[in-house]
Order: sequence, then C-alpha cells, then structure tokens
Amino acid sequence: MTHDTPAAAAAHHSGVRGAPIVVARDLRKRYGNLQAVDGVSFEIAEGEVFGILGPNGAGKTTTLEMIEGMRPIDSGSAIVDGLDVAQDPRAVKSRIGIQLQASSFFDELNLVELLELFGHLYDSQVDAMALLADVELTEKARSQVRTLSGGQKQRFSIAAALVNEPRVLFLDEPTTGLDPQARRHLWGLVRQIRDRGHTVVLTTHYMEEAEELCDRVAIMDTGRIIALDKPLALIDALLGRGFTKERVERLANLEDVFIDLTGHTLREE
Amino acid sequence: MRWVVYWSLFVASFKMFVRNRAALFFSLFVPLLIMLIFGVLNFGGTTSISLGLVDEADTSASHALVSALQANPSFDVTPGERGAELAELKQGHRDLVLVIPLGYQRSATPGSPGLVAFSNQSKPEQAQIGGLLLNAVVGQVLAGGGGGGAGAPLVSVEPLAGRSLGYIDFLVPGILGLTLMQLGLFSVSFGFVQLKRTGALRRLFATPTSPAYFLAAQVTSRLIIGLTQVLVLLGVGLWFGLHLVGSIALLLAISLLGSVIFLAIGFSIAGWAKNEDQAAPVANLVSLPMTFLSGVFFSRDAMPEFLRTVTDFLPLTYLNHALRSVINDGVGVGAIAGDLLGMAVWAVIAFLLAVRLFKWE
Repeated sequence: MTHDTPAAAAAHHSGVRGAPIVVARDLRKRYGNLQAVDGVSFEIAEGEVFGILGPNGAGKTTTLEMIEGMRPIDSGSAIVDGLDVAQDPRAVKSRIGIQLQASSFFDELNLVELLELFGHLYDSQVDAMALLADVELTEKARSQVRTLSGGQKQRFSIAAALVNEPRVLFLDEPTTGLDPQARRHLWGLVRQIRDRGHTVVLTTHYMEEAEELCDRVAIMDTGRIIALDKPLALIDALLGRGFTKERVERLANLEDVFIDLTGHTLREE
Repeated sequence: MRWVVYWSLFVASFKMFVRNRAALFFSLFVPLLIMLIFGVLNFGGTTSISLGLVDEADTSASHALVSALQANPSFDVTPGERGAELAELKQGHRDLVLVIPLGYQRSATPGSPGLVAFSNQSKPEQAQIGGLLLNAVVGQVLAGGGGGGAGAPLVSVEPLAGRSLGYIDFLVPGILGLTLMQLGLFSVSFGFVQLKRTGALRRLFATPTSPAYFLAAQVTSRLIIGLTQVLVLLGVGLWFGLHLVGSIALLLAISLLGSVIFLAIGFSIAGWAKNEDQAAPVANLVSLPMTFLSGVFFSRDAMPEFLRTVTDFLPLTYLNHALRSVINDGVGVGAIAGDLLGMAVWAVIAFLLAVRLFKWE
C-alpha cells in the first residue's frame, strides 16, 4: 500500500466536514511472526463517525490502540488533534476518550464514584449525574458496575470515556454481545454524541451498524486497509463491478421481523 | 505530583478494600477469630514448669541434682546466672528459679547453705506445684546417693514480685505479625491480579494519569489499613488481659517495616501472575511455612535445632520477635536492632523482586 494517498483521496472525495483530527500514516505493529498491522494510513475529519471493519484478527483493535497511545507504534506515525502520539501519549490521552473492548471497572465503587474518580484522573471535576443522565443510567447512580446488564455496562463505559469532554471518542466493538434492542439504543447514543460535536472512531463486526452509523468506513484484513469510503459509495462500487446477489434481497430482513415482533423497548432492567 | 489525583485514588483504594467482604473477612475477621478461639481456649496452662537453674556450687553433688532436674519431664530447665535468671522470673518467663549455692553438699550438714528457689508471686499455682516437685526430686537425689534421709534440706521457696505472662501475651504479637503478612500477601496479590485480569487496570492506562499514582495509592492505603489492624488487635488483646509494656509508636514503626516487606512480596506475586489461580498457590507457599515456623502460635523453642536455625532468617520470625520483645518486655530499638536489620534486608530483597517481576498487563 502506498503512503497516505488512498485515505487522503477518500477524505477529499467524500466531502468530509472539517480538517483532519486523526491522521494515521503507515502504521505498523508486529507480534513475533505476526504482522498485526501492516502499513495502515487514513485521515479522520473532525465531527466524523469513522468505522473500522474487519474479521477477527484483522488488526482493528491494534490499530486503534496505537492511535490511542495504549500500545507502542513499531513504525509510522499517528497524529491526534495535532499531537504526535509517539511523542506524547499522555497529552493525547488527555484529549481523547477510550472505551476498551470488554471494559472493566473497580467493582467496589458505584457509578457516581467511578465517574468522579475518572474525572480526577483527567484533572477535571465532572457532573456525574449529568453524564449518567446522558446515557440513561440515572437510576443506577449508586449501583456497582457488576450489577449492570450488558447494554448498561457499555453505556456506562461510554459515559466514563466522556468525562474529559474528549475531542475524539474511540469505541472498540461497543455493541458486541448486545441484543438488537440494546444495540439500536446504543446507536442512538452514538449519534447524540456525534451531534454534540465529538468525533467518533469505532470498530465493529456488524455491517448494518457501520451502514447506520458511520460517515466513512475502512475495511481491514490481515493488517491492511483494503477499502475506505462512505458505505454507500463502497456498495455502489461493488455493484459497478457487476456484482449481483445470488438471492434477491427482500425489502425487509429477519432483524426487521425480530424488532417488529419484540419492539424497541430495552430488556435489561 | 498531582495530589488530588493521588488522594482520589487513595480514597478509591481504601473504599475498595473496606467494601470487599472477602478481603475484610480474611484480614480483619479471621485474626480476630483466631485470637478469640485461642484466647478462650487459653493454651497458657502449659504442663511443664519453666525452671531457671543457677548452679553456683559446681560440684559433683550439684551436677547430680542438675541432671536429675533436667531428666525430669515436669521441668523445662534453663541453666543460667543468678541475676539473669531472676530477671527472667520477674519478666514472667520463668515459673521458678532454683539456686544451688556455693558450698552445697550432698548430705547437708548443719550450717551448710540450703537450696533456695525463687518463685513468681503472680503465679502462685506454678510456685506451689513447682515447690512440691522440686522437693520430691531433691529428696530422690539424696536418697539415691545414700545420704542422710532424715533432716535432709528441703527447698525453701521464696516468692518474688514478678508478672504473669499468659498465652495471650505470646499470641497477640504473633497474630499481629500474621495479620500484616496476610494483608500484604493476599489482599495485594489477589486484588491486584483481579484488576489485571478483568482489564480494570488497563482502563486506567487509557487516562493521562501515570499508573505509578495508582500503585502509590494502593501501597499507602494498605499500610494505613495494616496499622489500623495492629491498633484494633492490640485493643482486643488488652481486653483479653494482654500485658502491653512497650511503646506503641515503636510497635507501629515495626509494623510499618514488616508491612513493606509483605506488600512488596504481594506485588511481586501480583506482578508475575496472570490470574488468581496462579497467584493463590504461590501466596500460600510463601505464607504457610511462616505461619507455623515463625512463632505465631507456638514458641519456636520447641522446634528442632536445625529447623530453628533455618527459620531464624524468615521475615515473619524477625517481625514476630521484634513485636513480642516490645510488647512483652518493653525493649527499645537497640534490643531489636538485629530484627530490624533482618527486616530491612528482606524489605530491600522484596522490593527488588517486585520491581523485577512486576508487569502491568
């Protein structure tokens, strides 16, 4: 893959909203014999929801973690909000919010205590109740994380990633393991966060999720980006190559049936 | 140094400990329970009489008496000088001290010095039984030697003011040491490994705060908890009749040094282990031998010589001995300098080990 040309070109042609807030250039990471990330480049515009798709082991999480300053970069560079991640990971971390895959928190503290603690870790005072209201967890304010359902945990973990009003919010597989209702609910939350001006970078296994949420998606496989564009543009390009589905897609799918039958109401309380 | 960050992590660490039922159970409730059980059972009623033996005569007659007493299972004989043994008696470490005076003859002739035994006034029971037993043994020796039976000198028993050390006086320092060891080893190795395994520790890395703050908060909160435990257990001990004669400040200082050793060992285990299943056997492997060989429940005097020599160097042995010396005998820093030095060496070893083995992920 040549340097940043595909990403830059994609950014220009898709009419992104602002200046790039995340720039990845030729990122590489090797674990023993495995080249986990093999020259990944892209730019993310401010205010964008950017998706990284790919099968397990494609290098999505490693790419994300290098940009977040959570994992050393073998070669290449990552710039977040004008700061070089390799130079000053702490400064980058103070400007971003991170939801880890399978995030876990201190079991013995309640939600308010945890949010206040995390606020202090960013040297800021937080309005914990307001944050909890944003993610609809007001009634659980004095509960411990272990008593939350899967969807509630993910929502709390997003609230914890928002304590520092981050410029960029990184969500690593935020809806994995959630039922369709909880997933849709979380999509609504991500849209709200984007509408408040946060840039969102997320990884997912779910194509309909990427189609619903993401302004642009990068599809990764074996450590490389093999496609990067708006979801509809990628679909059009595929059709342009003469692709036809074996089975004609109906106007609804089984998930639509499921949601129609079971409703949008969350089933976690 | 961002004090607000440190303080909020310290408070969080403290809350996490206090709200963790398992941690509370093992570090506070179990030691209290042990103290209650052993305190109620009172193992102080030992069967043998602790006898200090001062042989000033050094004749064949006195030697015969000494070997007879040493062969008698009712006596736990410690030979020594008059002054030292009487001091031990007053400290409550001897039930009786028998002095065989210069010029002692097997067959007592009128005017020759008789045998005198000093007893601890605050242990009347031991004094009475010991006096009877001493008379019996002396009588036997004289009879066996064919000396004059009638008019044989009885041992005169003179009570001296002394204090009575019960089993609780032995137990409390041991329990203090045991508790500090368990707190350092188990609360750290289990609690920290859990944070590592679940990813809670990793979540901290996602913030701009250095993990060193969290480590500092964990260590200091554990130290405070350890010292609080020491005070609580001392209080319970006093209620059970503990004779606390030493300085509490010195006790806390010793406890602090001991805690540092065991916290560092705990962090070594936590740093090396990937999960609780790996941490548990190692933590037990470290703690179990010391629980039984470092003089927590029972005096190390009963141990075989070679085992005692080896276990003299265990960190808990130093800690227990220092705590016991201060609590029972009220000694100052000088008298326990050896223990403190041993503990300091262990602290350095454990710290280096922790630095070498500790991994965040």
